[in-house]
Amino acid sequence: MFKVIGGFVAGVVFVGAAAYNFMGSLMFREVPSPYGVEETVARIQQNIQNVGNGWALQGLRNPVKPLEADGGNALPVLMIEACSTKYSGPILNDDAIRFLSILMPCKISVYKKNDGKTYIGLMNAGLMGRMFGTKVGEIMAGVAEDQAKFTIFDPDTPAPAMIKNTPAASGGSSGGGAAGGC
Amino acid sequence: MFSTIRIVMPALILYAFTANAIAVPTKPEAAGGQGAQPVAASVMPSTADHHKFKALQKQFKSGPEVTEACLTCHTESAKQVQHTKHWTWESVDPQTGQNRGKRNIINNFCTSVVSNEADCMACHAGYGWKDNRFDFTVEKNVDCLVCHDTTGTYRKLPGFAGHPVYKPLEFPPGSGRRVEAVDLMRVAQNIGMPSRTNCGSCHFFGAGGNGTKHGDLDSSLQHPGKYLDVHMDEKGLNFSCQTCHATSKHQVSGSRYNMAAALKGGAHMRGMKDASPASCQSCHGNKPHPVTMTKLNQHTDKIACQTCHIPAFARNEIGTELSWDWSHATKMGPDGKPVLRMDSAGRRAFDSKKGTFAWDSYVIPEYRWFNGIAKYKVIGDKIDPTQTVQINEFGGSADDPDSRVWPVKVHRGKQPYDKVNLTLTLQHTGGEDDTALWHNYDWQKAITTGMEAGGLPYSGEFGFVSTEHTWPITHMVAPKGDALSCAQCHSKNGRLKDVEGVYMPARDGSKVLDTLGWTLALLALMGALVHGGIRIIAAKRG
Repeated sequence: MFKVIGGFVAGVVFVGAAAYNFMGSLMFREVPSPYGVEETVARIQQNIQNVGNGWALQGLRNPVKPLEADGGNALPVLMIEACSTKYSGPILNDDAIRFLSILMPCKISVYKKNDGKTYIGLMNAGLMGRMFGTKVGEIMAGVAEDQAKFTIFDPDTPAPAMIKNTPAASGGSSGGGAAGGC
Repeated sequence: MFSTIRIVMPALILYAFTANAIAVPTKPEAAGGQGAQPVAASVMPSTADHHKFKALQKQFKSGPEVTEACLTCHTESAKQVQHTKHWTWESVDPQTGQNRGKRNIINNFCTSVVSNEADCMACHAGYGWKDNRFDFTVEKNVDCLVCHDTTGTYRKLPGFAGHPVYKPLEFPPGSGRRVEAVDLMRVAQNIGMPSRTNCGSCHFFGAGGNGTKHGDLDSSLQHPGKYLDVHMDEKGLNFSCQTCHATSKHQVSGSRYNMAAALKGGAHMRGMKDASPASCQSCHGNKPHPVTMTKLNQHTDKIACQTCHIPAFARNEIGTELSWDWSHATKMGPDGKPVLRMDSAGRRAFDSKKGTFAWDSYVIPEYRWFNGIAKYKVIGDKIDPTQTVQINEFGGSADDPDSRVWPVKVHRGKQPYDKVNLTLTLQHTGGEDDTALWHNYDWQKAITTGMEAGGLPYSGEFGFVSTEHTWPITHMVAPKGDALSCAQCHSKNGRLKDVEGVYMPARDGSKVLDTLGWTLALLALMGALVHGGIRIIAAKRG
């Protein structure tokens, strides 16, 4: 009996420790980009605008700028913000899950590391959605499907211009919101 | 405790004196007595008001006229300038005797000034150098204003052989942009010590664009923040260029042609005769870290200061050019017309006149051993087109006590060469004549004219060869908190992974030693297990 309980507890501890260790890498993904930071951003922005499903650019943030203004340095990080009314609407209209608005807008981070290469940081929307029940799971599965298309690059197309001044979301919509957004 | 007192007491004494000085301002009467006259509310930084000089109170028609006026007082200045690289565009290597300088080398940006003087001399501190007949002895052709203008209105454009704009014009032609004529009298009356803007008007914009050439010099250094350069920080130390590049008789110290790659000894006293004031060590010494950081000080015999303290260059959106492929030049768009295409950040990516470019910002340097001696490819040097041609070869190695590991920018390119004579070619690019590449898009004519101007034989057959041009990185010094951490170099794939000839803990290992160590560790573990096991079994048996 002692062996059975001991084995069970050991199993629980092992699974818990494994989940604790791997949770971060399961929730977020990092993929290398074949392009520089600006071109990667520009190509993702172009893909977001072309993917349909109500997606629109919401902003482009540079979290390094405040650091530089404060006299510090960091390698470049640019965060693309995008949203889709198709996916945001049902969440924003349901009191039970409205708190998930904290995940809006959807963010994709593009950054350079010390190896000089560019990487894309993404949230694993599909897995995260499944943690909040069927409804959110289905919505986020759609987000994940679209998100996968954001990072498919066509090397034969010339580099588009990076969109620096995306209208920031104000009052729940924006200039870009006419065609989508949240 | 004693050390705390040692620090606090002088600080308190200093505070007492300075606080008193601030609290009780000296009245002018008290200082000067009854007869003292009040002084002007503000004084000029200079001891001479150039508005008051008769020689400068006239409408000048040309730059040389202004210089003649300057020389009436500054009688020796032109002669001094004529002995500098800013005038001769030559630099002799004191160790190898090689004659380098813009006039003699071929780089892998715009390639060469030969046959393109009218364009390139927009950055010459002189007037009228339009071909190889330029007289370097004429004093009035020295351009004082390009370095000493404080109005920010003095501009020299490509195509005018170093002259500023005397009449309003559209530039570039056909662009619809109007450039006003310079008011030479106003500029002449408002001269001063060179500012970052003066130096930067050429050094920030080398190779035809902001940040193109150096990587650690661009227009962001006109008004830099602390993050970009801890010394030039506009709200902090606010160094000008000549704070480091100390100047004597118009000779500006510090040049990539003759670099002090490794300096020994302590900081240098200002005023002391010093061959290399434009170095970190001239102020910081070669043991710059506190004694509690002995390990860092031990690095200074192998590592240049810049290696740790400039973790990345081109740290802004301007970026820097990393490659220029001339082999794509003359390719037209689908409609047969020239094309100009920008990259995602708005920097030149393709130009039918010039070829293809690659740019980047926040660039991680490459690292090389460097002893300050670089051998350059000069006009007429033979090349091996089967290899990547080194435009400049950095001397130095791990065994050389005068070498340090330096951060560098490597600009890679493809440029034309003579397939028979095996020389890099000179090509006539700028200008509106029939043989100018940027006018006629004809390589053969452009190379023929360029080689003729340079006095080089040309076989008539050209190809394109890969080249590399290496630039030491020494500006854009980050605050000390942003210096590289130990692990950024001391790791398997760290910054210095390709630097050879030196053992680096955590990067390098000995297979024999590693195997021996792990074997010993394993044996110890096994010994402990066996010993423990025996003890347990023995205890159970009673």
